[in-house]
Amino acid sequence: MKIVVGISDMKVSNKPEDMLITYSLGSCIGVVIWDPVAKVGGLLHYMLPDSSLDKDKAANKPFMFADTGIPRLFKETYKYGAMKNRLIVKVVGGSQIMDNAGVFNIGKRNHAVLRKIFWKNQIMVAKEDVGGSGNRTVSLEIGTGITHLKVSGRGEFEL
Amino acid sequence: MSRLEEILSLVKHVPPFPKVAHRVSEMLQDPNVGATELAEVIQYDQVITANVLKICNAAYFGLSRKVASLDEALVVVGNDTLKDIIITSSSARYYKGPVGEGYKLEQGDLWKHSVAAGIMAKELAKHVQEVSPGSAYTAGLLHDIGKRFLSSFVADEFKQIMMKVVKEGCSFVDAEKELLGASHAELGGLILQQWEFPKEIELAVLQHHDPDALDKDPLTAVVALANALVISMGIGVGADGLATSLRGAGLKRFGITPMHLDLCMANLLEEIDRAQELFHL
Repeated sequence: MKIVVGISDMKVSNKPEDMLITYSLGSCIGVVIWDPVAKVGGLLHYMLPDSSLDKDKAANKPFMFADTGIPRLFKETYKYGAMKNRLIVKVVGGSQIMDNAGVFNIGKRNHAVLRKIFWKNQIMVAKEDVGGSGNRTVSLEIGTGITHLKVSGRGEFEL
Repeated sequence: MSRLEEILSLVKHVPPFPKVAHRVSEMLQDPNVGATELAEVIQYDQVITANVLKICNAAYFGLSRKVASLDEALVVVGNDTLKDIIITSSSARYYKGPVGEGYKLEQGDLWKHSVAAGIMAKELAKHVQEVSPGSAYTAGLLHDIGKRFLSSFVADEFKQIMMKVVKEGCSFVDAEKELLGASHAELGGLILQQWEFPKEIELAVLQHHDPDALDKDPLTAVVALANALVISMGIGVGADGLATSLRGAGLKRFGITPMHLDLCMANLLEEIDRAQELFHL
């Protein structure tokens, strides 16, 4: 079954026939994780770096922010038997519109926070396709761990 | 006929904007106008009437109760909301069907992007005193109307346009202009002029991709900013992606910081949840 992950949303599955997909990542970031042994995978689509912006919103929609969404993504897959040291982690998105003043660097800030969280928790990123000015659609096949990425102007390919 | 002539002659054949919308807008300037008189004018357009009821019941406009008839609706909604509702229901017809195919947009995406930009512009207008929420909403809703009519021409030159964007780092709108002779923003400006919208709204649509938009008329700045944020969020975005240029330094004059922008994006997401009914007009 195709399971669509919206903006500020997260889905996890261990059904081999499932495919998780999120459309149109602009400055948002998509985090794809998959455990090849437990065959469980998850996809997070967060929009902003830091939940301190609005605690109420973060409580309501934890997947809106990197710092509240990323830990939940990992923990949710652990429930299905995933183990941190086995998880294959892929990161996509974080584009930005062209602005040399850096005011619209939401994508860059989103990515910076993710790197900090991963560094602190010793999580390695296997594959990454971040930045630029294209928008991206990413999908994960739960049975195989195959991740497809579509980027405007660059076509569709396996990540 | 050159392609540019072809594009421009197309604009002349764009169906007129529903008369009801402008008429209601005029009537609302008179504080003595009553619901019955408004209903008489609105009823004249069946599509608008049907939509008004649907929109009135959308959580976005926050009415305290469901309304079943036009008369009832007109009593319950305030004038500003009524204007927004009429503009929304009048605009929806131009965004039906595969209108953004040339931009690789799915059906409904261009409308979704437009409604989101309208709501975002209204949200931003809270920070910019000189801009009325109603004008912000209207200009946001119609900023990409040119795409509706340029789409098939973009489809013809799609490969060349994308090549310029990817290989040369050109913005999509500049590539459009160079290869087709006109951009969707320019076309939008012409269409709004033909539809006799106020000049400031026409200008905001015309200049919404201008890299210096934030230094221009406040409404232009608000619409360009709303579009940039909605694009960043990936709402109704096609092959043009984030390939647009906007010099952020201009934000200073409004006292808007990146934190405000983050908040507006977070707010928009909630508003969109409440505006679902609008997406399906």
